[in-house]
Amino acid sequence: MILATTALAAMPANAAVNASTAPNMSAFGGMAKLIKAAQKEGTLNLIATPRDWADYGDAMDIMTNVFGIKIVSDNPDGSSAQEIEAIKTTKNMAKMPDVVDIGLPFVSTAAGLFANYKVRNWIDIPKAWKDPNGNWYGAYTGTMALCYDASVTPAPTSIASLDNLAYKNMFAIQGDPTAAQQALISVFAVAVAKGGSVKNIQPGIDFFHKLKSKGIFVPVVANATSFASGSFKINLGWDYNASGFIAQAASIGKTVKCIYPSDANVAGTPYVLAINKTAPHPAAARLWEELMFSEVNGKLASEFTAADKALPLDKQFAMAMGGQNTYVMGGATPITNVQMIRKGTKTTPAKAVSVPSKLPKSVLPTLAQQATATDLLKTAWPKI
Amino acid sequence: MSQVVATRTGTRKGAGPRPYKSRVGSLKSLLPLLPFLAFVGYFLVFPLVFIVRDAFLGNDGKFTLDNFVECFKGVYGHSFYVSIRLSMISALIGAVAGSLIAGAIVKTGSRTRKAIAATASVLANTGGVPLAFMFMAAFGTEGLVTKSLKALGWNLYAGSFTMFSATGIILVYCFFQIPLMVLIYSPALENVKPELREANDSLGGTRFSYFTRIAVPLLFPAFLSTSLLLFANSFSAYATARAMTAGTLPLMPLLIGNLVDGNVVANQEHLGHAMAVSMIGVSIIVMGIYLAVLRFSKVRS
Amino acid sequence: MKRKLNYVNYLVLLVASAFFIFPIIAAAEFSLRANGATTHNFSNFQWAIQQDGFKTNLGVSFRLAILTAVAVLVLMVPTIVYLHLGGARWKRLIEFICLVPLVVPVISFALGVATAFPVFLQSTVYELSFLYVIISMPYTYRALDVGLSSIPLLTLVEASRASGASMRQTLLFVIVPTIRSAVNGAIFLAVALSLGEFTLAVILHWDTFPTWIANISQGHILAAIALSVLSLVGAWLVVLVFAILPKSFRTNKTQEAAA
Repeated sequence: MILATTALAAMPANAAVNASTAPNMSAFGGMAKLIKAAQKEGTLNLIATPRDWADYGDAMDIMTNVFGIKIVSDNPDGSSAQEIEAIKTTKNMAKMPDVVDIGLPFVSTAAGLFANYKVRNWIDIPKAWKDPNGNWYGAYTGTMALCYDASVTPAPTSIASLDNLAYKNMFAIQGDPTAAQQALISVFAVAVAKGGSVKNIQPGIDFFHKLKSKGIFVPVVANATSFASGSFKINLGWDYNASGFIAQAASIGKTVKCIYPSDANVAGTPYVLAINKTAPHPAAARLWEELMFSEVNGKLASEFTAADKALPLDKQFAMAMGGQNTYVMGGATPITNVQMIRKGTKTTPAKAVSVPSKLPKSVLPTLAQQATATDLLKTAWPKI
Repeated sequence: MSQVVATRTGTRKGAGPRPYKSRVGSLKSLLPLLPFLAFVGYFLVFPLVFIVRDAFLGNDGKFTLDNFVECFKGVYGHSFYVSIRLSMISALIGAVAGSLIAGAIVKTGSRTRKAIAATASVLANTGGVPLAFMFMAAFGTEGLVTKSLKALGWNLYAGSFTMFSATGIILVYCFFQIPLMVLIYSPALENVKPELREANDSLGGTRFSYFTRIAVPLLFPAFLSTSLLLFANSFSAYATARAMTAGTLPLMPLLIGNLVDGNVVANQEHLGHAMAVSMIGVSIIVMGIYLAVLRFSKVRS
Repeated sequence: MKRKLNYVNYLVLLVASAFFIFPIIAAAEFSLRANGATTHNFSNFQWAIQQDGFKTNLGVSFRLAILTAVAVLVLMVPTIVYLHLGGARWKRLIEFICLVPLVVPVISFALGVATAFPVFLQSTVYELSFLYVIISMPYTYRALDVGLSSIPLLTLVEASRASGASMRQTLLFVIVPTIRSAVNGAIFLAVALSLGEFTLAVILHWDTFPTWIANISQGHILAAIALSVLSLVGAWLVVLVFAILPKSFRTNKTQEAAA
């Protein structure tokens, strides 16, 4: 009798565990059981997650080629607003997103949409960037970098140095600062470089006005397409988009160099990962989160041998390059950066962006400061 | 109300068309339109009802007019002017250029005209990032045309010319506005009977009198109604301007996009929907003006 | 009606052709760049066509386009003909209704659709066809309206009815052939729109050819350009073939009906 009950207790937990309400990995009975449950679901619905954004491609490959979970990537160029909208309007449909990667300002619009789940290394995430119940937490941040076509002379080294007629028709940012996070933080960077601060962006606005009147600043959205057509040659953007941009430029025969500007070291608020409370694939969603917050310095999907793939699932997870490190490979700053440096688990960062000899102290505009700046820019930006 | 009907021998003011003997109440004449109205009611009005309802709600879910008040203030209020002005200019240029081209095409053979109609329909549907790219690749600072002109001695960018301005946008919009005009306006031109010109000539008229007394009054309604279409087309165009102005041109669709579909502004969708409702409001007013002009022109001719 | 073109006509056509051709040539030149832009060949097109999902998604967009074209024909032509005959009092209302889809920003409309439509409707990709009929309505309405306004509609209908034809026969064998070019215009617009529409498909999470292009061109800028050139040229060829097809069977039927 006792043997029977013990046998019962030792039965796989996925029969009984409700993946949609599991608050952490132990509710599944361990990593191997979580992976098995995810494999049973077979698919993961992602939205607005481009492959070359902070090297998501490598993480997606691990999910698919190592753990065998197919990824459906909806609307890679989508906005945070579209992600929240998708959750709200696709209830009871198989195409509902399982996880989202949204900007911090959008967390407030998503009340009640996310599930509480704490990943294994929850304590490594700084308190400032996580919800105490595990409803959402920041995953990575970026710092503003200056990228330019190598043919530009003289090579720009700082934001202030852009005030040079040799750069006519060359400088652009990633779109409208009231619409694109990268563009907004670019304005902060310019403000800091020109004597302003995260509390006062007026010097930044004034400098943009100056550059535009001289024809140096071009109001085109600085993406690969406009670069290809030569519409801009210098831009401000996230450091983790640098390697992707350099690769794209190489494919059309152009060389791009990226540097951190010597007069501004501005980071953005982290992008946040969260699990949809009514996710169609709850176990896969939770596995993705475990992967993205894993600090393992391990193998990429292409480096897994056949022998590796025959190992038990939790061993495979322990050998796979963690998401925090794929972010590092992509050039982003992982949220667990401090802990990873302390533990020595950080992999070699991408060398896409060169660091100048002297870099100012890092600053980060808070949500409140971003909101104030956005309100000001709504009226000021069309007038620059 | 009297209807002016264009027939083979000129215009006739009548009390209404005769073949359909619908003297019974107005509702019965609505019957044949029911399939259309049902379709439109479900697939157009139903989604719009949600937008309109949302425009009157605040973030707390309660009824409020604040969104509409906000619509007319600051940059949002200014965007009405910017959008309407740009669309009017774009419609005018597109209509005039389009009718000139249509005038030339109408003289070609039937097969050519069909081929051009096909081409025009595809060009009329270009837009967004592909169109922006095509123009940047042709007329940008490193564009094909720019480089060729430089070789001939003319530097397009010597002054302050830039494609990323209202002027540049109007130029790019021509790429789909003109084909749209050509496509829709051509049938009106095609059906101008040569007998009218013969009648003009035989009564001692000149080319000028043909144009002012016959061709223009005959074609004016079609010209105006297609121009209205061009206006609305430009008014709501979004993706191209978004790629090419980076927020420096406050157009209404762009501001709506920032509010409901952006990465920076959150919790302001209701304002975005109020703006969308305002766009419908603007089109009601513009259409009212169009109908008034039409009636005025009919009375005069 | 073939008149001789005068020199002003030729000048206009020349300038117009240059304006439209140069951007397409510029984009095409880009799409042919290969090997780090050292040579020109079709490798970008080859790469794009060989990608997973090219045929499937192209097929989806094609089916949507055909369904949209048929729906436009069936819905719009009889409605607008009626408006020009007995339903004239409703013309302004319908004209306004047909303008609304153009004035509402697509993103707002898409959000409304996503919120309003029931699950069963949002579970089929063909919901997009109905929506494409709606957003092509401003164009198709205007094309058919201008076409009908420029023919002697009443005379034709009277003559046809007097000869004993029913309203249906009149519509099919007299009116439609007379406004052939306007009907063509409307159909071409609807088809071209369906093949290139992006926003609605993306917001409603469907895989169509344009959304597939956006997905596949992540990180492959030349392939992205090649695909947009391919879509443009492809759509043009599709519509062109339909346009210059030999005279349709309808002409024969008109002769039979008249006999």
